[in-house]
Amino acid sequence: MERSRRVEPFEQILKQPGVSLSFPRDPNSEYAVGRIDTSPCRLACPAGVNTKAYISLIAAGRFREALEVVRETNPFPGICGRVCVHPCESFCNRAQVDEPVAICRLKRFVADYELQHPQEPAGPLPVTQKEKVAIIGSGPAGLTAANDLIRKGYAVTVFEAMPKAGGMLTAGIPSFRLPRPIIEYEIDIIKKLGVEIKTGKKISGRRAIDKLFETGYDAVFIAIGAHKGKKLEIAGEDKYEGTLDASSFLYQVNLGRAPKLANRVAIIGGGNSALDAARSAVRLGSKAVTIVYRRSRKEMPANEWEIEDAESEGVKIQYLTAPVEILGRNGKVTGMKCTRISLGEPDESGRRRPIPVQASEFTFKAGNIIAAISQEPDLSFLPKKHEFDISKWRTFNVDESTLATSRPGVFAGGDAVTGPNTVIDAIASGHVAAQSIENYLNSQSLQQASDSKAAAKTSSPGSLDQLTLDSSSTTDLRATSLNGSGRRPDEFEIKVDIGQNRKKLRADMPIMSRSARIAGFDEAELGFSETAAVAEAQRCLRCGPCGECFICVSECEKTVSVMASTDGRRDALLRLPPEITTPNLQSWPLDGILNVGRRKPIPVQITPTTCTVEQEICRGCGECVSVCEYSAPMLIPKPNGLHVSIISERICRGCGTCVAVCPSSAIVQQYFSEDWLLGKLQSMDQTKRNVVIFTCNWNGTELVPPDLEAMSQPDANLIFIRTTCCGRIEPSFIFRALEHGADGVLAAGCPTSACHYSFGNRHATEHFSKVRNMLNLLGYSPEKFQWTWPDKNRDDGFIEAIGLHLRNMRDGKSCSEFVDENKTRAVTDA
Amino acid sequence: MNTLADTIKKTNALFCLECGKCTASCPIAQVNNSYSPRRVVGHTLVKSGDDILEDEMLWACLSCKSCEPGCPADVDYTRLTLDLRARASEAGLHGMCTHGGALQALMRIMTTPDLKQNRLDWLNGDLKTADKGKVLYFVGCAPYFDIFFSDLGVKTLDTTRSAIKLLNAVGVEPVLMANERCCGHDLLWSGDQENFLKLAEHNLQAIKETGAKQVVFSCPECCRTIKEDYARNLGNLGFEALHISEFITDNMAASQSLFPTNQRQEKVTFQDPCRLGRHLGAYEAPRKMMQAVPGVELSEMRMSGKKAICCGVSNWLNCTTYSKQIQVERLRQAHATGADTLVTACPKCEVHLRCAMKDPNLGDELKIEIKDVATLAAEALA
Repeated sequence: MERSRRVEPFEQILKQPGVSLSFPRDPNSEYAVGRIDTSPCRLACPAGVNTKAYISLIAAGRFREALEVVRETNPFPGICGRVCVHPCESFCNRAQVDEPVAICRLKRFVADYELQHPQEPAGPLPVTQKEKVAIIGSGPAGLTAANDLIRKGYAVTVFEAMPKAGGMLTAGIPSFRLPRPIIEYEIDIIKKLGVEIKTGKKISGRRAIDKLFETGYDAVFIAIGAHKGKKLEIAGEDKYEGTLDASSFLYQVNLGRAPKLANRVAIIGGGNSALDAARSAVRLGSKAVTIVYRRSRKEMPANEWEIEDAESEGVKIQYLTAPVEILGRNGKVTGMKCTRISLGEPDESGRRRPIPVQASEFTFKAGNIIAAISQEPDLSFLPKKHEFDISKWRTFNVDESTLATSRPGVFAGGDAVTGPNTVIDAIASGHVAAQSIENYLNSQSLQQASDSKAAAKTSSPGSLDQLTLDSSSTTDLRATSLNGSGRRPDEFEIKVDIGQNRKKLRADMPIMSRSARIAGFDEAELGFSETAAVAEAQRCLRCGPCGECFICVSECEKTVSVMASTDGRRDALLRLPPEITTPNLQSWPLDGILNVGRRKPIPVQITPTTCTVEQEICRGCGECVSVCEYSAPMLIPKPNGLHVSIISERICRGCGTCVAVCPSSAIVQQYFSEDWLLGKLQSMDQTKRNVVIFTCNWNGTELVPPDLEAMSQPDANLIFIRTTCCGRIEPSFIFRALEHGADGVLAAGCPTSACHYSFGNRHATEHFSKVRNMLNLLGYSPEKFQWTWPDKNRDDGFIEAIGLHLRNMRDGKSCSEFVDENKTRAVTDA
Repeated sequence: MNTLADTIKKTNALFCLECGKCTASCPIAQVNNSYSPRRVVGHTLVKSGDDILEDEMLWACLSCKSCEPGCPADVDYTRLTLDLRARASEAGLHGMCTHGGALQALMRIMTTPDLKQNRLDWLNGDLKTADKGKVLYFVGCAPYFDIFFSDLGVKTLDTTRSAIKLLNAVGVEPVLMANERCCGHDLLWSGDQENFLKLAEHNLQAIKETGAKQVVFSCPECCRTIKEDYARNLGNLGFEALHISEFITDNMAASQSLFPTNQRQEKVTFQDPCRLGRHLGAYEAPRKMMQAVPGVELSEMRMSGKKAICCGVSNWLNCTTYSKQIQVERLRQAHATGADTLVTACPKCEVHLRCAMKDPNLGDELKIEIKDVATLAAEALA
């Protein structure tokens, strides 16, 4: 009888790579990328920071890229990540499920990540324009404009009256909210680009502005902020020593010249300055600090979370109380006479008008009184007679869309125009100023620019055809999207399906204990851990289809990982350029020629490392779907009522993480078969101590020294087995290594998101811990099974790490990575 | 090793009438029409030499013995499979291991002679055990399963703890072996005769050293392997091998007050493990033990006892879409009885059925509480 052979099912043939109609990296196919709508968080941001994109990138563990996205529109991620009032969170759709995503704190996380993983900052940018720009004031508005202008090729000089740069960031915000090194670091980046900041250089005098033009500047941006504290305008205010205004008090505190305060301190006002002054007073040792505010808590302009923090630090708040006279004795303040207030009808600001209650006056004792009622720009730098249009609030009147003042070539922005306002508004105004200055210098009519902006507002932001891009227009699209669509956040048009989401409250910010906080000026909030940040970012509902992170564009330039093997003897995982991987493929493997330097060309076989599912084996359990970072597998229904997974070859990037979790071994990764593994393991020399080292290819290939002998200890034999990604390392690898005589097993791969595969180490750690617990029952010491995720950018990081672990294995020390991880977890949990 | 002719003779394969009753009663053949026990027997007889060993279908059999009761020629199909797999394995052929072969590799690691195991770390003070005695309790691989299958919420250690509680309740303090190894069941059925024998010799020696006269198991696979396969390969055991339900029902009569009255009401159904039922013939003991618990109402599935369908996978081999179909069918049958709890008596049934219940699409339709018969009984102890 003829031996029966099973006929290969049709699906089996269909899923042969190359048979599918298109192959992903075909250079002839073009893809359009475009936005259909902007997410409400981004619409809410005055500076148009691409919130959704950076949150998505954090969720994918791509922290550096996330930070780059923030920096495109906001040069101060570390600063805004701490002190921004985050209007974005107020419009976050996640609030309808549980709580908004902690967008602001995530921004801080990526900024901190860079501090912990420093990179060489960008060097000076070339000056390509002949015009020079002078900026007065080095606060967020001034420096944002400087940052934009230097990138546009203009030489920029910033003049700062104070001894330190940073404007209100440095002078007004205390360091427990915003540590000085953060400000210095972010300003330093701008300086390194070539912006000149002249501190201690006050522009003033009769011909101050004229002189700037005369000394070669072609445009001026006035961004002096609002540093001058307003007076209470009550009796006794200037009579006694011990009355301060919050602005100068905070300035002294922040520049290290804090005045000595009495034990009882009263602060008058209800804004963030009042709270900052109160919390600073607590830290300077005052025992009874009280904020006196004339309305109720509901009307307080300060951020709710600031009020809570202040209260927890012991600050008392007297609501519905206003001072009427400052009292004193022997030239020193002793207190103030206050009156109770009742609230009447709402005024034009929408807050209820305070009305004094008759005959309710009482005396409030205090050794210091700090007025924190508001600030205004300090216009003393202008001569008595000048050509600027000044409002009744002592601010600059400017053209709303261009920030042009009444003098040509001079622009004003930030708090100097709005009065005391937020950092993010100042940044937004810096962007507008830079754009206007460029337009002005290009001798374009400002009005013309303003018209075109209005036109942009009316056109539909949705149509894809408008946005279809070729490679050259990528940057243009980015530029237009930075300006936002001009709509309000509540105009977000795409319906977000809220009901689908399970509740998961936002991550708590680890915070210093109360006693540690008030003991000094150290930063109170400690920042998210990596795990907490990723989990928090994953709460984002991703409103709207495209986040415009533009990772796709840069990713597309890379290619899929492809395995090249030479006669099955020596092999290497390579990422090959599209022209090699995309001939009209009919079947893999493909014969190719590998040229390495001037060596003889090597004939190679090329196989993609993409994964395929054996349809007859797959149980439809969905494990692959849940671990894939790229959404390549999908469960599809079968006629018998069950489901089966299929992996899209177009999406699969060949990391093999799914192969490692498939319970029925239904997923096949080409090349990385069981035979491949066994072949490697059989090379063990049973007379020596064998250590099997599974390395992720992308870290391992570059760094495993060609001469392995040098690394081997005299009695040890190292067997390196490279996988596409360490996510491929499954429990059976470790058991099989032991079965074949290994003495220990080490997994070495990249840290999270250090390569094009994001989370392999996370999966590998899970698998490894499980196996370690099982082997512990068998009596194997856990020290022999270790893992490490060294940073390949560190010199010798990989080799050092392997050396360390080999020593630990020999000495029976526990895995340092393991300990570290537990420590971090404990901190996060606490 | 026997020749192929010996195997054919020993298993009555030559007497096959090709009636097809085996295929009709085979759970795999119901769902995978390219598999047929009848055809495998036929091929074994007509193929020249060892060609049959290359037939992938050799590895599809669950060795659940569903095919045997109806066979008019009394062909020992399970034994035929066992022998053919051993031959195939010698020729370097093997079936498709689940979990990348992790569990078989673990078993082979256990053949290492000088292991210093910590396998009894889970014992707590409430459980009374002894170093020497007449009754030995063979733990099996539960400590490993609970770690490896932690994602499935498998709690097979609860079963072993319950078994010891039951033994204590009938006045027995069992001997537990810290140097116990895997019984080798899965290696044997994967064709790895060599490593199976290493484990068997080790365990037999260890049991004999304790001087036990009765060995009690909560895992029917261990029970069958030691009772039949150890005896077949290594000669007379010198002790009796019993499933926990058999031991408890035998000793229950002496202490009538084992289970106090006024227990909660629980409607249960019973999954006969193939090793316990058709392999060892213990259909009554687990039922008797369950029904001795006041308040437990047993309602049988459409196919139970000799006709029970197995849990769909065995020996960590060939876990496929067909296995899933069998499991889904079995869970539906369990639901149809209206029972709150599906009681089984084998850790493998628990692992496999729990895995099937994890289906993201069928979801709640399949979910049912799973409990080992020992756990059910131990929960009711005074």
